[in-house]
Amino acid sequence: MTGRRLSAFIDALAAGRRPKSFPADPEDAAIVRMAIELRAARPGDANPDEQFVSDLFETLSGQLSPPVVPGRVKTHRGRIAIAAIAASVALVGGTIAVTEAVNQPAPTTSALPAPHGKALRTATFENADDRVMGQIVVYNGHPSWVYMNVAASTYNGPVLCMLRGNDGSVVAVGGFVLRHGSGAFSKTIRVNVGQLRGARLVTPAGTVLASAHFA
Amino acid sequence: MFPAPQPSLRPVSRYPASSDGNGADLRVVSADVYANWESVYRDNVGRLYRLMYSRVGNRSDAEDLTSEVFRTALGPLRLAASKGEVQSYLLVTARTVLASHWRRHLGLPVTSIDPLSDLAALADPTGPDEPSDAPQRTRKILAALPDRYRRILELRFLEACSIREAARAMDVSVGNAKVLQHRALRMAAKAAEEMEQ
Repeated sequence: MTGRRLSAFIDALAAGRRPKSFPADPEDAAIVRMAIELRAARPGDANPDEQFVSDLFETLSGQLSPPVVPGRVKTHRGRIAIAAIAASVALVGGTIAVTEAVNQPAPTTSALPAPHGKALRTATFENADDRVMGQIVVYNGHPSWVYMNVAASTYNGPVLCMLRGNDGSVVAVGGFVLRHGSGAFSKTIRVNVGQLRGARLVTPAGTVLASAHFA
Repeated sequence: MFPAPQPSLRPVSRYPASSDGNGADLRVVSADVYANWESVYRDNVGRLYRLMYSRVGNRSDAEDLTSEVFRTALGPLRLAASKGEVQSYLLVTARTVLASHWRRHLGLPVTSIDPLSDLAALADPTGPDEPSDAPQRTRKILAALPDRYRRILELRFLEACSIREAARAMDVSVGNAKVLQHRALRMAAKAAEEMEQ
């Protein structure tokens, strides 16, 4: 069955159609990867359609609206959930802060160097298997603020974001709830953005769901 | 879902236009920053699309993913950031969007975006049509295959032949052409893996 679905996926790719989803194993993935590479090498197909570029611009232009203050937890239920995490993380936070100094993970390739200045810093959240799960963006300004989103998690439920400083300090900046593996959060922060080393997303049980390292 | 800060439409810097105090503002924009949201879009949409196309191999998905990158990035984007920072941010967003795409569609990461090498391609002011050395690499992979395997892949993926047309060109049945294609892809995938080691 998977063989037929893999074959249909490859046929769709070769024909330039949108392929249908199927649960792939690693060998299937390697074959699909090869087919994509070959298909992408076909001359003349790699540039965007002008109509697409123009339509997307119109759509995005319609989304522009007056600035909104970074969000907070809006529901009572949400506040309770986040408070619960904050309490549980407070218990493990000390441990994290203490172990940071002696057990600092080496920076990974999850961070992108900010080539010009420190107005905006960004990094990718990855789990323990190095899978990309989301991203974090911090802006230096008045006020500074942080934005993060997770779009590829298998975990559902509340998470707390911990920012980590270069000196090993850990600050909980807030939490949000992942639903269907996705969620986003933004908030103003009072930290020196240039002194941040990374961030972690922590579950109520204290498990580190994902980490991000700023360049 | 929490509302994200919306893009700042304020000028990057404001100075009095004159000393007469008439309140007129002069917009000062460094060459290293984007003047407005449209310039962010125009400067990056083609490159991001090509990057996505090279990772998914079909126009429909590449368009959807490019759209998702801009929709996701639009909210938190502040124009005061430098071009390099904005492009880094777009690339991180693209990386997340692509990872989510594969998780939804095949359940595991088939292709990914490499932060360093892809940022170099995205930030290249000459705006290369090809985001990498892909054609050269493809030629090397194909060259490593037996003739019949190479030919079926060329016919199907580079010369846009249907499986029936490819079978006819190679004088085999459609069923044989499918088997040949599958084996050729598997061998090519191994060749690609060996090239990376």
